[in-house]
Amino acid sequence: MLTVVVGAGRSLLGSLSNNLLGAVKTTHEVIPRLHYNSIFSQQQRTFIQMRTNLKVVDNSGAKRVMCIQALKGRRGARLGDTIIASVKEAQPRGKVKKGEVVYGVVVRAAMQRGRCDGSEIKFDDNAVVIVNKQGEPIGTRVFGPVPHELRKKKHLKILTLAEHIA
Amino acid sequence: MRLEKCWFCSSTIYPGHGIQFVRNDAKIFRFCRSKCHKNFKMKRNPRKLKWTKAYRRLHGKDMTQDSTFELERKRNRPERYDRNVTESTLKAIKKIDKIRVAREARHHAMRMKGKKAIEQQAAAKELEQSIHLVKAPAALQEDPSLTLPKMKIKVSQSQTEDRMEE
Repeated sequence: MLTVVVGAGRSLLGSLSNNLLGAVKTTHEVIPRLHYNSIFSQQQRTFIQMRTNLKVVDNSGAKRVMCIQALKGRRGARLGDTIIASVKEAQPRGKVKKGEVVYGVVVRAAMQRGRCDGSEIKFDDNAVVIVNKQGEPIGTRVFGPVPHELRKKKHLKILTLAEHIA
Repeated sequence: MRLEKCWFCSSTIYPGHGIQFVRNDAKIFRFCRSKCHKNFKMKRNPRKLKWTKAYRRLHGKDMTQDSTFELERKRNRPERYDRNVTESTLKAIKKIDKIRVAREARHHAMRMKGKKAIEQQAAAKELEQSIHLVKAPAALQEDPSLTLPKMKIKVSQSQTEDRMEE
């Protein structure tokens, strides 16, 4: 009887230690691999929400802008949406100054957006064009590529100023 | 609707598949599936990966220059719709496809031409040198051509008795 109990206990212990060892081994194996993968492929791109820094790609004078409200969308703004933003960095002589609250249209987003033909498009960075309340751009030039989605959102002025439509 | 080519593996991207990535210099990269996309993000060179068309063309595994590729070249001017032209184009596509497949098969056959002779030679050499690895005494006895020249070894009586006991 005693021997049986001891035997059972040992086997339990053995299995426990095996499991621990197994778990430890797997974590050791997985950690370096995950680390390598996460740099390149596991970066999850999400919406443009409060506190998101965006690049300004027109000549309105601002350089960087921080989103304070996404006008449409519970989770945040996407490609082609309008946002309210606060100017964080501006060029010395420009139409907008630092600390101003402005409206902006997102023209480039790192998060992919689905198109009606089923494909998806994404850009390299998050960029915005500063716009007035009516939707007309304040600046006179737009830099970099802009997506087709602006046409549907009726931001035709930005499209005409763009140098490349993706 | 336009059938694009994947930037990485050069396969066709049908509508509804894949992701387009637009870089800030307005260069568009189209990928047919996430495998190609992830490899691109890892900054791998398609010319070094054996499964891509770029590698195969570079290393002469697939046809590079052929007149059948002229049809697939990208034309940026839209053609005015003409029923006769459309009909003849459709017929031509089928015919050119058949010709291209035939030429690719011929290219492959040319590439594999000397293979059988090399295989035969290797097999003959292996037969000469390594027949001792294949111990089939019955076969060795039957066909003297399969064996190395026989050498007579004297077996003492005591050895055979030991074997019997075991």
